[in-house]
Amino acid sequence: MATREGSFSVEDMKNVQINIGAVVKEADEWDQEMGPHPKPGVATLRSWDHMIANRYKIMYAPADDTCTLCTYGPCDLTGNKRGACGIDQAGACGKIVLIACLMGTCAHSAHGRHLYHWCMDKFGDMKFDMGDEILVDSPLYQTIMGTKPKSFKDFNEGLYYLEEGVVQLLAATHTGQESAYIDFESKALHAGMLDLLGMEICDMLQIVAYNMPRGAADAPIIEIGMGTLDQSKGVLIAYGHNLAAGAEAMIYAEENGLWDKVDIGGVCCTAHDLNRIGLGKGEAKVPAGIGMKPKVAGAIGWWRKMVRSGVMDCVMVDEQCVWCDVLEDSKKRKIPVIATTDKIMLGLVDRTNDSVDAIVDDLVSFRVPGVAILDPVKAGIVGIRTAIAVKPKRAEAHIQNLITEAQFQEGIKKCTTCNDCAFVCPPHIRISKLIGDAVKGDMTTFSNTYEICVGCGRCEQVCPQGINILDLFEYANRQVVKDQKFKMRSGRGPARDTEIRSVGAPIVLGTIPGVIALVGCSNYPNGTKEAYDMAKEFVDRGYIVVTSGCMAMDMSLYTDVDGKTIWEQYPGGFDGRNICNTGSCVSNANIGDAAIKVATIFAHRNHRGNFDDIADYILNKVGACGVAWGAYSQKAAAIATGCNRLGIPVVVQPHSVMYRRSFIGRADKPEDWMVIDARDGKMQQIEPAPEAMLYIAETKEEAMVEMAKLCLRPSDNSIGRSIKLTHYCDISMKYCGKLPDDWHIYVRDAKDLPITYKEMMMKELESKHGWTIDWKAKKILTGPLRPADVSFDPTNLPRKIRTKK
Amino acid sequence: MAAEVKKGIDTTRNPIPFEMAQIPGPEMAKCYMPKVMGAIIKKAKRPLLVVGAELFDDPIMFDKMIEMGKMGIPIAATAHSVKGFVDRGYLENVYQIGLHPLTNYLRFPDWKGLDGQGQYDAVIFMGIFYKFANAMFSTLKNFNRDIKRISVDRYYHVNANMTFGNMAFTPDDYHAAVDEVIAAMQK
Repeated sequence: MATREGSFSVEDMKNVQINIGAVVKEADEWDQEMGPHPKPGVATLRSWDHMIANRYKIMYAPADDTCTLCTYGPCDLTGNKRGACGIDQAGACGKIVLIACLMGTCAHSAHGRHLYHWCMDKFGDMKFDMGDEILVDSPLYQTIMGTKPKSFKDFNEGLYYLEEGVVQLLAATHTGQESAYIDFESKALHAGMLDLLGMEICDMLQIVAYNMPRGAADAPIIEIGMGTLDQSKGVLIAYGHNLAAGAEAMIYAEENGLWDKVDIGGVCCTAHDLNRIGLGKGEAKVPAGIGMKPKVAGAIGWWRKMVRSGVMDCVMVDEQCVWCDVLEDSKKRKIPVIATTDKIMLGLVDRTNDSVDAIVDDLVSFRVPGVAILDPVKAGIVGIRTAIAVKPKRAEAHIQNLITEAQFQEGIKKCTTCNDCAFVCPPHIRISKLIGDAVKGDMTTFSNTYEICVGCGRCEQVCPQGINILDLFEYANRQVVKDQKFKMRSGRGPARDTEIRSVGAPIVLGTIPGVIALVGCSNYPNGTKEAYDMAKEFVDRGYIVVTSGCMAMDMSLYTDVDGKTIWEQYPGGFDGRNICNTGSCVSNANIGDAAIKVATIFAHRNHRGNFDDIADYILNKVGACGVAWGAYSQKAAAIATGCNRLGIPVVVQPHSVMYRRSFIGRADKPEDWMVIDARDGKMQQIEPAPEAMLYIAETKEEAMVEMAKLCLRPSDNSIGRSIKLTHYCDISMKYCGKLPDDWHIYVRDAKDLPITYKEMMMKELESKHGWTIDWKAKKILTGPLRPADVSFDPTNLPRKIRTKK
Repeated sequence: MAAEVKKGIDTTRNPIPFEMAQIPGPEMAKCYMPKVMGAIIKKAKRPLLVVGAELFDDPIMFDKMIEMGKMGIPIAATAHSVKGFVDRGYLENVYQIGLHPLTNYLRFPDWKGLDGQGQYDAVIFMGIFYKFANAMFSTLKNFNRDIKRISVDRYYHVNANMTFGNMAFTPDDYHAAVDEVIAAMQK
């Protein structure tokens, strides 16, 4: 007999096992009916994936012509040959792509799992509440799971779902399992979707647990950079993505009044999240006074430059994007390392159960180079106490962090111009030229390439003369590092529902030309300035520009002629001519969330358990384009693939060929560009919009032209199409000196033409493309592949055809 | 010196991938002398010259590419390299297209080409970011082997059929080698 909601007792029963599934009460509390695909399995959305793959051809660029995964190997797969197990080159590539996406998905999801346990342990179950202005509070969760999380506990169901999905997908990569490349890609798209869910769970948990800003368009502008770290104090660096230990260090410093003795700087996404904690109002277990005390020291790409610049006394690493030589680099400079999660233990002794005093003593006296402490509270305390205590010890030890002028001169004189370094440098810096210039007394080339150098250190490993090239870079840019202070807007969290209501119609009609989501890390093909240039170009043109993670930091390094960073030039709303920093890497989920919210808040689409419907809406109507410029990791592969499944095209940088797979359409095949008009079910040919799902650009200039093009959607009205074409053509004119060759494909009516080029374009349509023009009425009579039609309702899903009631 | 001039620039030295770790498997490119390269390009029925944005780092190469274009070889100007041709007033047979979509088209035998006249039988890469060009060569190497993959770039391109050795640090020799290719095409 039920005694209260959710529990009951059974008396007088023995040896009876009762299994109870989930109790679903959502129908009473949610006005949306359950969609067709709650908790989709591996094959549930396969037809959607195949639609994507049939239009956007799966293209592989194998990084390896062989397969070495089983004992039959190596098998030579060159020319799409089959290996001993029967898999061909395309299938082998698909398998690697799936594995890479799963790596990324697991990184985010395991992060979410850890945060779930940590937050439940620390705070107990908390109500999931994103505030009055974010009522659609977990769009991905709701779209995928078909339920609304009400409290932290509910996220457990999502995590279990993710974990089962990952296991099933990874199983498919075993030899003798999946072999068809198109199904590997369907599975990769599934992994990408799970990745978006994992990121959202992570960010929602931390936002609520630590009371981080929720949709704060006015999030404060803060100082970032190595120059913000106060060298008169012990400097503790928290490096990675999982805020738990870093947060505990801040709490310990706050509760014990230690901020006059210690400075905490975050590196990579932990930096964003520590900063976001400080901006919260302060829950009972998070002291209110932390405020802006934690510093944002820098992005992942700055790490090796940072460790060589002598700005830190102790480093705590948590998880993801931690360079694998962090211990070696730190050991050389007597910087104690604390590994704080079981993801990265660096071969260090697990001291979780030892006393704080004993651990600190061992670290401060340099008896051990580092320790692993898997209790975030203890790790935070040890980090703070070690940073404070080791600072004078490091000074006493006369550690030479920085090379002298004599050592610099000695280093550059050793160069024989063999150029072995150039053969391994990712951005192809001609290092011997920099050294040659320095020998002549000209340091400008060393300075000019500082931000192009990705800090990988491969050059040092191959130099036959043993020149420490990164040290030369540090010497040549010492003052730059010392003074490195820039401004960045803090992570604001998701878009508010009111913001979506305000921009929904302009995005769908095209009068806001698009949403550009810039994400990425450290492996820029031509330096961090590209991040600024791309953001600036699009925000200035009235696009909604959204960014996060390390790219938000990297673009902060540059200013306009008035000395203002991009964050000071534009407001931080989710609106045209605004630029938002959503937060850390897992906050990338907020970008997918915003696209879903356009469908559900503006267009009133039911998103509950209805992933393909929402993705279909986004693909056809929401002019959004992701850009992963500088992305290096498997997480980026998973994020991009998840965006693709959600109908958002992504542009990637040339190094991204290492991901091996792209999705790109054939504009010359009209049959690939047929959609259903949902009004009557008739098939309609559309222009190739968007033309690609995953596009690889060689240069930032090409990327920008493509980004504008990938915001085109079949649903654009004429004003919107005209605006979008204006930007596409303008950007091409600016960087390529001419209009793009295919602009005419996107013209359906004279009203679609950009005003600035209208006359010239109409002449060209007539003379070059054979269209007929009524010059008196300034109308196009024949030529376009379809007429402009404001009520056209394109869809790829037959179930969306409206039936007469 | 005279013997050197007569024999031409030796473009077969240093057959090491410009990014050293790009070792794909058992099938790797062979290095050829410029005259041979020129003769083979000349023999191609439907060649396509594919150039990238690295030409801006060595602008004289634009002029050399235009010279090839004037010999009737269409030019696919990838990235934003078309700007270099606009600036020089040469757009006769120059097409603006990204290397990625271009390679996608090249792998399908039914593609009609940039001019609508049919698929190409040889692509000649030049001035493209090394890793990107290498990967797109890999796509063709594995998925459309009917197209001959030729690099006249200053790098050893391991996934091409025919390439120079590395000449990245000997620009004068490299320029002379490209001139020899052009001269051989004119014969």
